[in-house]
Amino acid sequence: MAALITHSPILIIAIPLFAAFLTLPIGMASKKARNALVIVSLAFVAFLVFALARDISINGIHVYTLGATSPDLTIPTGVMVPVRIILEVDGMSILMAIIWSIVALAAAIFSLSHIASETGQNRFYTLLLLMVTGGFGMMFTGDLFNLFVFLEITSISGAALIAFRTRSADTQEGGFKYIVVSAIASLMVLFAIGLLYGQYNLLNIGALAQVIQYTTSDMIALALLIIAFTIKAGMVPLHLWLPDAYSVAPASITGMLLITSHTCMYAAFRVCFTLYGGMLDTPVVGWIIIAFGLLSMFVGVTMALRQKDVMRFMSYHAISQLGYMWVGIGVGLAVLGNAELVGIGGYGRDAMSGGIFHILNDAMYMPLLFFIGGALFQCTGTRDLTKMGGLAHKLKWTTMLFIIGTLCISGIPPLNGFSSKILIYESVYQFHPILAITGIIVSILILASFAKAFHSAFMGAELPGYKAVKEVPRSMIIAMVILAAGIVFITLFPSLIVDWTIHPAADALIDPEGAYITAVTGAIP
Amino acid sequence: MTSIPEFGYAFWNPIVLIIVFIVVMIVVYFFRRRGQEKYKKDTDQTQIFLCGEEVPEAEQRHIRVGNIYWGFFETLKEYYKQVLRPHTGIINDYVLWFVAVTAIIAIILLIAGIAK
Amino acid sequence: MMEYIPLNFPFLAAALLVGVSFYIIIFKRNLIKLIMGIAMMASGVNLFLVALGYRAGGGAPIYTDAPPGPMVLPVPQALTLTSIVINVAVLALMLTIVIRIYRHTKSLDSEKSRRMKG
Repeated sequence: MAALITHSPILIIAIPLFAAFLTLPIGMASKKARNALVIVSLAFVAFLVFALARDISINGIHVYTLGATSPDLTIPTGVMVPVRIILEVDGMSILMAIIWSIVALAAAIFSLSHIASETGQNRFYTLLLLMVTGGFGMMFTGDLFNLFVFLEITSISGAALIAFRTRSADTQEGGFKYIVVSAIASLMVLFAIGLLYGQYNLLNIGALAQVIQYTTSDMIALALLIIAFTIKAGMVPLHLWLPDAYSVAPASITGMLLITSHTCMYAAFRVCFTLYGGMLDTPVVGWIIIAFGLLSMFVGVTMALRQKDVMRFMSYHAISQLGYMWVGIGVGLAVLGNAELVGIGGYGRDAMSGGIFHILNDAMYMPLLFFIGGALFQCTGTRDLTKMGGLAHKLKWTTMLFIIGTLCISGIPPLNGFSSKILIYESVYQFHPILAITGIIVSILILASFAKAFHSAFMGAELPGYKAVKEVPRSMIIAMVILAAGIVFITLFPSLIVDWTIHPAADALIDPEGAYITAVTGAIP
Repeated sequence: MTSIPEFGYAFWNPIVLIIVFIVVMIVVYFFRRRGQEKYKKDTDQTQIFLCGEEVPEAEQRHIRVGNIYWGFFETLKEYYKQVLRPHTGIINDYVLWFVAVTAIIAIILLIAGIAK
Repeated sequence: MMEYIPLNFPFLAAALLVGVSFYIIIFKRNLIKLIMGIAMMASGVNLFLVALGYRAGGGAPIYTDAPPGPMVLPVPQALTLTSIVINVAVLALMLTIVIRIYRHTKSLDSEKSRRMKG
């Protein structure tokens, strides 16, 4: 068991990769064996992630060197810098990995019925497992070029999955927009990595953080890295591709693509907090992120009010929720220079905890809402809200879960959305009141828009066109209940979750003693 | 108790709120029990009453999503005209926004670096 | 200052490639030209990476029977190979999707083939 935990970072990345390649031959033999392989491998990976999380909370940062005689040997004897591919898992990475494992498992279970009528299902599951591999790679890597490679793996499999339903034209358009945006963003990330490598001759994030100075080329590299990661994470005004791509994908894939957006946001914060460390102009970069976050919150929800397509509606709400996270963590970045405000009890750390807690909560209720959109699409054959009505008579479980999702996303107590939103409001109000005021106005507009969608889809008398609609298949209900169980758990024990996972993640990003660097280089000179 | 978040800002305990919710639900149940139980199903007693007007069909009665919140959209027409202008759907414009925002951020960072 | 230009020529060429490809991607409506622009940008970034490793007068980074003198850096060459392979996959995927867009909408114009806006 101890050996399993020592090698778990590479196992978590490798098991979905092998399962992806095994899915094709096993799928050609038997469908049930392929479904069992997908679910069992994702469940085992989730178990490994939780075991690794427990190990990190006890023992601190977990470093794994690929190809060395022992996993801790980051710098071989006689060499001055870390030379191999190093996976480094700290509090923030393992939180993202927990989210990814739960949502990937729920998405796989949802896909069992959602794409049951499509052809080419073997390739679907292969691409899904490859996307899971890419996501875990992005979260665990301690190396900039590895980040680029796994970013590309995730983007390519995501784009292929968006364009999976080749019968309709809009899926192809969404997939094309996604791959073009991803390709340009990834090439700009590679350009910035080249800029940093040319100056310091290092690719490892910990080693770079030790020697980086903030020269002009570093400023350009920082601008390129932040904007390239934020275009993939859906920050206004770079969000224009997101509703087109996320609304047409199969609903389980949209849930996973949302967590990919969160992962790109995590990569941006890894660059700002860990790679550049205390070297960058924290008030300037912090205020840039806060300004874009405010814009995302407001533009996201006002565009969502107008939408008639249910999945597009949810995508704009995803943009708005991402804005909350940008604001929370941006406030933490803006006050990073002030040691007292980011220590225990300061509002900088509380704002970062609120933003990171909101990542966790959003990852629980937003995929649930996307799955409900997919359930509506499967039952009625259309995503258009103007044609739906009176579905609460037939889809009882879906209606209950939609009500839970609505209350969560609007921040109604006692659900989990309220816990993270109150933490963000109370702490960013002390930074500048306008941030909290905008957040509260946006919350009100979110509730208004969801009331509108709920009325038009579920309320009202039964329409004659939908007399034959039945409740969604059982595996879709099970997937949605997994996420709802996560919501209920976070609702009942918010303080437990914050102490176990969120505060370690915020402290890992703030990192006052440079624990990330010493884990790789062995000692601060 | 592990359920009380110690944010230091307010007292907030989800278990207490859930117990309050359950108590209110019990009160609502007792109110409902005092209602009428004797009615004849499938006669005019269960139909919608619109003060004697004719009740339209379900298709026409249901308010569609495009018509809700009309007043809100009328008031904010100018704002929406400006916000809808970038949302063209053309992929070339998306890349133009990317280049423009990168250039602006790089210039801001350079100016802030020089001014320090 | 003029003597630095021959040394920096690969970087100038890479910047020119990336600049022209951004012009193509932003201003050309044909989807195939857009993909060509992305391929050109990939070439520009790959050229930038390889040019970073050059050391004046250096030989190939192979230790067997190495001639005396400096060697160019091998790491950027490895990064470039990885990047070339990834970009091949991305371009293949983009071309496949454009074929399907053409079959559905009978148009290769990025404005006429879009169905979603707002």
